[in-house]
Amino acid sequence: MAVVADAGVLYGLLAVGAGLATGLAGIGAGVGEQGIGAAVVGVVAEEPGFLGKGLFLMLLPETLIIFGLAVSLILMFAWTPFAAIVTP
Amino acid sequence: MPVLRLPKFGYPVKYAYITGRVRAMKTKLVPAEMYARMMGMDMSEIARYLEETQYKDEIDALSKDYSGVELIEHATFANLAKTFRKLERVSIDEPSFLILEYLRRWDVWNIKTLLRGKFYGAADTEITKYLVPAGELSPEFLEELAKKDSITDIISAFDGTDYSSALAQYDGKNLASLENALDKLYYFRMERAVGGTLSVGGGLLLKYVRREIDIRNLITLFRMNKAGVDAAVIQENLIPGGKLHEELSRMAGQPFGEFLRGLEGYPFWSSISDIASVDLDAVSRIEARLRAYLIRYAWALSNYHPLSILPVLGYMVSKETEVSNIRKIVRGKEAGLPAELIEEQVVVA
Repeated sequence: MAVVADAGVLYGLLAVGAGLATGLAGIGAGVGEQGIGAAVVGVVAEEPGFLGKGLFLMLLPETLIIFGLAVSLILMFAWTPFAAIVTP
Repeated sequence: MPVLRLPKFGYPVKYAYITGRVRAMKTKLVPAEMYARMMGMDMSEIARYLEETQYKDEIDALSKDYSGVELIEHATFANLAKTFRKLERVSIDEPSFLILEYLRRWDVWNIKTLLRGKFYGAADTEITKYLVPAGELSPEFLEELAKKDSITDIISAFDGTDYSSALAQYDGKNLASLENALDKLYYFRMERAVGGTLSVGGGLLLKYVRREIDIRNLITLFRMNKAGVDAAVIQENLIPGGKLHEELSRMAGQPFGEFLRGLEGYPFWSSISDIASVDLDAVSRIEARLRAYLIRYAWALSNYHPLSILPVLGYMVSKETEVSNIRKIVRGKEAGLPAELIEEQVVVA
């Protein structure tokens, strides 16, 4: 089995993966939030008292980013199977 | 005639703002149980109650010029116009386009009011009181029209617009055929503007409007079949474009009992089955039930398509009904009608 021995390349790919995990989660949350945000603004325009609940609903998709961020952090700092390969 | 095109279509998220807003506005409508309580109030109490609701601004502004029934009537119409104009103003793209398309019915209403007013020689101030500038025609333009001397002057002001073909039917003797032509034109324009596109939102609006045409035709059938009018005359008065048009026009001129039997099995039958019988005394009771059915239909459809024009449509229909209910109650009380009679006319979905 061919082993990629260049630690720099491996570490770079890992960083790209970590970036994608957070970035795509962010985009997904944004797509989810656009509709909720617009609707909340619409309701708050009529009922200012709804702002608190509305903000809560709007922030729900934001939790998805936390999953993405967690995966990124694991990739960058806690997931080290390749460490064995690249150790000199 | 140029075919109107939707600017952009297909993205439900465009509806998020306006549907959120109308759902909040829906909670401010007069609750159904208030109508029964209004029946027991006198005019000033009703006005005071309305002052606690969304009608506050209008009641406050108009209370120095009017009182009693007049105050409530003008305040409700002014509020209706303001609310609908607001809906159109706060929406963009497709929702705005579709809302305006729906609101053109108030243009038709205003034109009818103007013509009727002039026909019976009412003063222009009297006519402007009953205008509801909720559609495309601006309040200034309508007021200008009200100041014109004769019906032909008003008709010539619409030269070159879509209305001219319908208004050309005026024969100087009666307005019925002209009004019928205006109604038909409204639905024709709606179909032309909305039906020719691939828009999902427009399709949903059309679905509701087709049902509305059916219900209107059904009411016409109830009235005319009950009175034993000739089939050809009835068919002339039916508005084309409904989903059940062929079936309903076949029912024209049938004996009343047979007509009622033919209606069994249609989706609206369950809402009128208990009062629709051969010895039906007042068609207006059927009309109130069918209106209520239509509101329920609009809201039921909007549950299937939460991000679409349907919640807005449901709100507009509910609001129109609310205003007409309040007006029915105050007018009925003013005329001294018995409470049961008024209650029958009030539409509660």
